[in-house]
Amino acid sequence: MTITQAPGKTTTTQAPAPRPRVNLEPYLYLLPHALLFFVFTVYPVGYGIYIATHRWDLLAETQAFVGSEYFRNLFTPGTPQFEFFWRTLINTAFFTVVTVPLLVASSLGLAVLLHRPIFGRTFFRAVFFMPGILTVSVMGILWRWMFDNQIGLVNAARELMTGAGPIPWLSTEGLAWIPIVVGTVWWTVGFNMTLYLAALSNVSQSLYEAASLDGATSGQQFRYITWPMLGPITLFVTVTTALASFQLFGQSLVITNGGPSRSTQSVTQYITEEAFTNSQYSSAAAMGFVFGLFMLVLTAAQFRIMARDVQAVEQK
Amino acid sequence: MTVQTSPPATHRRRRLPRELPRFLLLSVLSVLFLAPLYWMLSTSLKFEADAIASPVQWWPRNPTLDNYKEVLTSPDGNILRWTWNSLFVAFTFTIGHVLLCALTAYPLARMNFPGRNAWFWFILSSLMIPGIVTLIPHYIMMLNFNWINSYHALIWPGIAGVFGVFLLRQFFIAIPRELEEAARLDGANSFQILWRIILPLSVPALITLAVFSFMGSWNNFLWPLFTVTEVDKMTLPVGITTFSQRYVTEYGKLMAATTLAAVPVLIAYLIAQRYLEAGLSTTGLKE
Repeated sequence: MTITQAPGKTTTTQAPAPRPRVNLEPYLYLLPHALLFFVFTVYPVGYGIYIATHRWDLLAETQAFVGSEYFRNLFTPGTPQFEFFWRTLINTAFFTVVTVPLLVASSLGLAVLLHRPIFGRTFFRAVFFMPGILTVSVMGILWRWMFDNQIGLVNAARELMTGAGPIPWLSTEGLAWIPIVVGTVWWTVGFNMTLYLAALSNVSQSLYEAASLDGATSGQQFRYITWPMLGPITLFVTVTTALASFQLFGQSLVITNGGPSRSTQSVTQYITEEAFTNSQYSSAAAMGFVFGLFMLVLTAAQFRIMARDVQAVEQK
Repeated sequence: MTVQTSPPATHRRRRLPRELPRFLLLSVLSVLFLAPLYWMLSTSLKFEADAIASPVQWWPRNPTLDNYKEVLTSPDGNILRWTWNSLFVAFTFTIGHVLLCALTAYPLARMNFPGRNAWFWFILSSLMIPGIVTLIPHYIMMLNFNWINSYHALIWPGIAGVFGVFLLRQFFIAIPRELEEAARLDGANSFQILWRIILPLSVPALITLAVFSFMGSWNNFLWPLFTVTEVDKMTLPVGITTFSQRYVTEYGKLMAATTLAAVPVLIAYLIAQRYLEAGLSTTGLKE
């Protein structure tokens, strides 16, 4: 599964020095990392294929070879694996499609609000960034409480403002996504906001000055200067956010435990359930590969952005 | 990799009235952002009856520390123990990870040898392998190594990361060659150059990587959730969820536990805020 990319057009500045014998020194530096890299990154990919093509039984001496059975299950209507795998994959895709635009827009919005000096700027930045340092389980427990069916703060605030009775957010299909999405935005918007703030400070101030001399409104300035100048960072934020959203696990596990009736279960949660609750390790490994293929597309996009960065450094 | 934290102050204080709408908007948003944290703290100080009272008590009328006392002395699990586990694992992981990445990034950035670019692209391409692909094989490996319920399972599998190599290599490349050549003339060997020149000049990158590794390990949830099942070996994020399963309807205690888990991190953040955000804005980003 590893993909080796050809060295490509990397430019080396030094001419190859003629050496009497091979210098072992660089390889000695590489060795410790390389050993661990083989054991914990390269080998597990091959081992994963072995597990997925055998019927894994932790108690058995030898594992029976079953070929592509577990992969075929995933594409055969009627098997529980087929039903739940695709259902949870669609759940995850839905979550990604909803959160990515929300997170990109809200982090950009906050960054624009905070970019120019204003009283209390450091305080505001800290407030928006702070939730992101909580661990996912703390964040999840907190938002489960906020959206508690009966006495959560959200229902209380709603009652205070409209007089309406409590909404059972956590146990209503469809609505149960709201605490997960709101919690995720609250939790992660600060990271992306910080990236946007850094990018905004690189946009030359003279562009705005020239634009205001020409009589451009602030809306036009955003449309014609800020937004295009932020293109690379928006691409980066979109891809990394999509990658993170696609790996949804802790938020839905802690806030709704995937419920009601699996409507908010993420594909990662289903894979872990298949492995650690049903002891179907081979089936879970096969799902890991198939889901991994979907993620590969997103990862490839991020990889390309990083590779461009390498070339930028090497051409200096 | 330059960090510009603030734009030139072209807008002066005199403009404040014009800035008022922006300031008010930010204030309202801040209140919304802080509300969950306030509610967590507030609930943690209430007796259970007050925590679930209707209409809600916005301010704890009879504040109590009982929830904290109970959570800290609970026989079902020990928050202090989990915090220690998390700290130990995160520190060990971070030191090992940064060290391994630096040792690998050094020759990749500063030496010329056959296979250099091929190796760099090979390990870098492993970033394309999504974590879910190695989840099950890693788990079975931990079973085979007898590492379930041990710190080993939490430290080793991710320690030879590749993003750190990438980050440090980018940084090492930018260090002027003259410094290295001067040291070499003085008789320094390659390790002395790494130790005395490259690493001291790379402190910002090393700190960035260390902060990210530490936070990554500290916040890791999925992997320790399944590889650690003994209560005493759990890390904080996992331990807290066992409370959440036990005290599912006792929100006062649950919020005391989450507050105990959150407050040290919030304090650490407020102290390290500048470095953290500066590090974040230099990571892998270029115009």
